[in-house]
Amino acid sequence: MSLIPVLVKREFTSRVKGPAYIITTILGVVVFIALSFLPPLMERVSQSLIPAQIEIVVLEQPGESSILPFLQQLSEEREGFAVYADESLSESEAYRMVLDQGLSGLLLVDGPLYTLVTPDATNMILNDEIENILNLAVSRWNAVRLGLSAEDMASLFRPVDLRVREVSPLAEDGEELDSATQTQAMVLAYFLLFMIYMALIMYGNMVASGVAEEKSSRIMEVMVSTVKPLELMLGKIIGVGSLGLLQFIIWISTGLLMNTMGSSGTIGTLLGAGESFSSIPLDIVMWFGLYFILGYFFYASIFAAAGALVSRVEEVSQVVSIIMMLIIVGFFGAYVSFLNPNSTFAVVASLVPFTAPMVMFSRIVLGSPALIEVIASVLIMLASVLIGAWVSGKIYSIGILLYGKRPTLRQVLMFIRN
Amino acid sequence: MSLVATQITKKFRDVTAVDDLSFTVQKGSLFGFLGPNGAGKTTTMRVVLNIIRPDEGQVTWDGTPLNRLGRGFFGYLPEERGLYPKMRVAEHLEFLGRINGLDKRKAQSETERWIERFDLGELRRKRIEELSKGNQQKVQTIGTMLHDPELLILDEPFSGLDPVNTSLLKEVLLEAHQRGKTIIFSSHRMDQVEEICEDIVLIDHGRLILHGNLKQIKRSMGRQILRISLEGDQGFWAKIPGLELLSSRADYQEFRLGGRVDSSHVLKEAMRAGQVIRFELVEPSLDQIFVEKVGGQR
Repeated sequence: MSLIPVLVKREFTSRVKGPAYIITTILGVVVFIALSFLPPLMERVSQSLIPAQIEIVVLEQPGESSILPFLQQLSEEREGFAVYADESLSESEAYRMVLDQGLSGLLLVDGPLYTLVTPDATNMILNDEIENILNLAVSRWNAVRLGLSAEDMASLFRPVDLRVREVSPLAEDGEELDSATQTQAMVLAYFLLFMIYMALIMYGNMVASGVAEEKSSRIMEVMVSTVKPLELMLGKIIGVGSLGLLQFIIWISTGLLMNTMGSSGTIGTLLGAGESFSSIPLDIVMWFGLYFILGYFFYASIFAAAGALVSRVEEVSQVVSIIMMLIIVGFFGAYVSFLNPNSTFAVVASLVPFTAPMVMFSRIVLGSPALIEVIASVLIMLASVLIGAWVSGKIYSIGILLYGKRPTLRQVLMFIRN
Repeated sequence: MSLVATQITKKFRDVTAVDDLSFTVQKGSLFGFLGPNGAGKTTTMRVVLNIIRPDEGQVTWDGTPLNRLGRGFFGYLPEERGLYPKMRVAEHLEFLGRINGLDKRKAQSETERWIERFDLGELRRKRIEELSKGNQQKVQTIGTMLHDPELLILDEPFSGLDPVNTSLLKEVLLEAHQRGKTIIFSSHRMDQVEEICEDIVLIDHGRLILHGNLKQIKRSMGRQILRISLEGDQGFWAKIPGLELLSSRADYQEFRLGGRVDSSHVLKEAMRAGQVIRFELVEPSLDQIFVEKVGGQR
């Protein structure tokens, strides 16, 4: 009978009650709840950031024509925007006026040069608003100079209405994607990608330091006298992995729960905002689970081998840094593939085992990669998990008995060949 | 009926840890495995335990290669003690029982029995890291014997134990011995080995130095040790060639007799120097054999 279940149980029960695990689980739940409140909250916050009142003093160098009338026209049209102009004021007097009366700023106009002098220069939202108003005034001014009518102006600035229809083998008739859905897909993909990334790093490190702990506490010697090294490694990997899976199940169910509450309007009415949380489609959750498991098993065995190469827990961070690099590369690869999920780069990266869990998953969420690519990626991942476990198992079974100086890369390669 | 190691050699790159080592451990015996630090004891034990494979040679039990023996055959107490610091005492012992092949119920009942025996009842729900060194040592020792292994391999089993627990452990070991279990143990404490072991093997630099029954080994070394106590000129021995002072104690001086020195000649010289209170020819202690055999090689 294999001892793996006994080892998994020990790994699981000894950590699941630990404060670190409980705290991260609760924190994750809080984050998920917060996320579902986030869109309406953001809306509120961003609304509160836009200044209700914009009042500027304009000082213009005399010229052929003036922008002032157009600014004044806008101040009549727009609520909360006021323009003061007094040619008799000097620059310093005008600025004093801004300070004394608590105005938004002083706009200096010198030909094509516009300068905003304001006590609140770092307020980007205010600057943007003033720039928008100024742009509008300048285009009207130019329209008059060029003799364009109001209709001409409107047609000149009408935004294009681009509709995107996606054709894919999975959805033949071509679903129409509106930009809102696309943004939602992006946000979701990014968020889940980040979770896979975090999970690989977090649980990978947990495996590596767990192995190093067993070495440094010297329990390893007792263990290997009765348990096969490969069993020991798998027990650790599955034990830690089941912790991760449990955590994700808790988090995602929180998300789904908030989701249904959100779509039934509970949260919306709670906050007085409209539609809030984007729904997580079930198939995406399944893909997430699959790629998390594949990616985790692939990386965890490498982390286990790395942990076996050091004698003390403190040294773990040095050896795992290379593995972390690979994960970070995968994360950025996935991020780059966001821009064009079907580019050659993205396709290749979704097949390479080091990057595939993150890149292929993102591609699935964002677009619809060819079925053959998905199958190939899953098969390559499965093969890599087995090869990874085999190679890591060799390094692990030798590494766990080594103490003292860390073996060099060449020695590690020798472990594999033996 | 025995454990037979045949011509074991194990090299770690250019270092030969064990060099053509053969020895036999009779089933049911108390066997001392001796050697100075770095002699290859741990490597040999790991080979016996099947943790590492030797480059050459093999170890068998009644003719069966050790890797074919079932789980729970061994009980191993390594010199470097180790337990999971976060686990609780009873939970840990059960776990050790389980990985050594006991089923859940048996692991629980044995845990209870041993906790009772070693008086750990109050600590059963404590974490290992909260225990004193001595109590950790007890837990580890129990973990080695919980599954009632056929072959016990104990590396320095008494280190860190107070006299009460030392005698408790001796009692438990002798009990296992009476039930026919084979016990191999290594120690630097030669007095303990002398007290417990019937047979020994002494290795150095991975090679066999001595192997056999302890009494016979001692006898074969001859009665070369002389203990003298006298009132008078303590320096009399300097005139006798071939007499080597080993130690001077408050109650007597200990000498090694060189090959050609006659003990009666020494006695005459001693009587001339003063009043002889004690004059005794003894077998060398294991400690002395150890120093002589190993020291001579260096």
